[in-house]
Amino acid sequence: MTVAARTGPALDVRDVEVVLGGRTILSHITLSIPRGELVALIGPNGAGKTTLLRCCLGLLPVASGVIQLLGERDLRRALPRVGYVPQRLALDTGLALSVREFLALRRSKTRNWFWRSAEDIDAAMPSVASELGVNALLGKAVGSLSGGQLQRVLIAFSLLERPEILFLDEPTEGVDAPGERTFYEIISDIHRAHQLTVVLVSHDLSMVHRHASWVVALNGRVCCAGKPDDIIREDALREAYGLHVAPYHHDHHHHSHSHGPGPGHDHGHRHEHGASGPPSPPSHVP
Amino acid sequence: MFLEPFMQRALLGALILTPLCALLGVYVTARRMAFFSDTVAHASLAGVALSFLVGLSSPTPGMLVVSLIVAGIIIWLRERSNLSNDTIMALLLTGSVALGTALLSRLHGYRAELHRTLFGDIIAVENTELWLALALLVGVVILSNWALSPLSLISVNEDLAHVSGIPVRWFNYGFVLILTLTVTITIRLVGILLVGALLVIPPATARQLSTNLRQEIWLAVTCGAVSGVGGVLLSHRLDIPCGPAIVLLAIVQFAVALGWSQIRRTRRPKLANA
Repeated sequence: MTVAARTGPALDVRDVEVVLGGRTILSHITLSIPRGELVALIGPNGAGKTTLLRCCLGLLPVASGVIQLLGERDLRRALPRVGYVPQRLALDTGLALSVREFLALRRSKTRNWFWRSAEDIDAAMPSVASELGVNALLGKAVGSLSGGQLQRVLIAFSLLERPEILFLDEPTEGVDAPGERTFYEIISDIHRAHQLTVVLVSHDLSMVHRHASWVVALNGRVCCAGKPDDIIREDALREAYGLHVAPYHHDHHHHSHSHGPGPGHDHGHRHEHGASGPPSPPSHVP
Repeated sequence: MFLEPFMQRALLGALILTPLCALLGVYVTARRMAFFSDTVAHASLAGVALSFLVGLSSPTPGMLVVSLIVAGIIIWLRERSNLSNDTIMALLLTGSVALGTALLSRLHGYRAELHRTLFGDIIAVENTELWLALALLVGVVILSNWALSPLSLISVNEDLAHVSGIPVRWFNYGFVLILTLTVTITIRLVGILLVGALLVIPPATARQLSTNLRQEIWLAVTCGAVSGVGGVLLSHRLDIPCGPAIVLLAIVQFAVALGWSQIRRTRRPKLANA
């Protein structure tokens, strides 16, 4: 492993352009994320947040530009040190895969789970499973879990091999409001306890405001980046979301499901694919 | 009757192929690939016709070639076109059935071969198919020790598998290759119309009774073997085609498992209330 792979930025994106199906989804994306930050990618639907995250994991190709993940330009080489929580599993709910077996699939030590006893697999389970309260779920089928339980299992799965960076793609979709709050608290605790770099795609601005150390607003390009207090403001959000938007710090105790910008926001279906505009300045997390 | 060579071949074929189909079926159902295997199976009809038209004594080589070509076209269209999966499958399934039927109609006495290919025949399993089936079984058993974990993770979520360092695309190609070979050889036993049942019914039966994937795999393989061997014996005893006998036996197993799981489910709340 090179020195850059150990000490450089966790993620370095240089002038990246992404074209899918002939349409430019992202252009002139430049950002650098140092290790140990909890960074939130925000923006309206179709802004390219998930696309950027998938490019960083090598799941989508870039048309031009360079992505370095944990110092590696060959993203596959960085993957053993990466954790990922997808937006949704689209799992066949009838599949009898237990949580124990699912977690065993991730670990090189337990990849021969088919021939091992449950006690044997549990003995090899890292402490992160109990930290996240997943131990009580080990015998359950993955398809039978509630949204909140599944998210905890997915986080445990992503942390099993002690990653240096964790990517989460809109991780609270399908989770109720109290579960969502708990989820962000868990992520925040993990970020501190494991000294991880966390890159999170989120719609929930109030949670981002509370937990993120840096925010990048995307809308086909990097609209702005900075500390949550500087970005989650009306003028900055207007650039990212367009039209009239205002930060709306809702209280989950009283409002069930009103994520993101509040009344008047353009949170719905403004597809900004191919958004043109001047190249944005590089956004560096301090 | 076990001394008759065709019965020995049929029983051995059933004992190898039905558990193999059941094992692959666990992942076929998890990955919603049942329509894929049906399409590949129907494509082999054109292979049967081509084999006889070029003067081969066995239809198996032609079936394998055409099925593999169709499987390759499906993958190519999935990756390169904007057509939906359903459209691709329907296009190739109907196209290959039309081509197969048109080619078979050019052959003298084609109706008997068409019937045999559609519904399977106890005497259709020859030594070539048996050796191929045995080679496949040995290959799958050796591979599964290493490939079961990646395949299971790919079935849960391909992106998670990729980030976990699994070469998803190559695993998918390998799985499609093994599935196509297994389906095509099994057609000689149960026929084109019913081969899909061997991939779907044993895993569906196993799901009614399993609480984890290991149980599901073992139960599916056992159910597959029981319906395969039992079906061949029934077929001989009742003088009915092999395919329907195997599938009907598999459906009886499924009905019993479904009934049992329903009884268990209704009992559980009562016990909790007691």
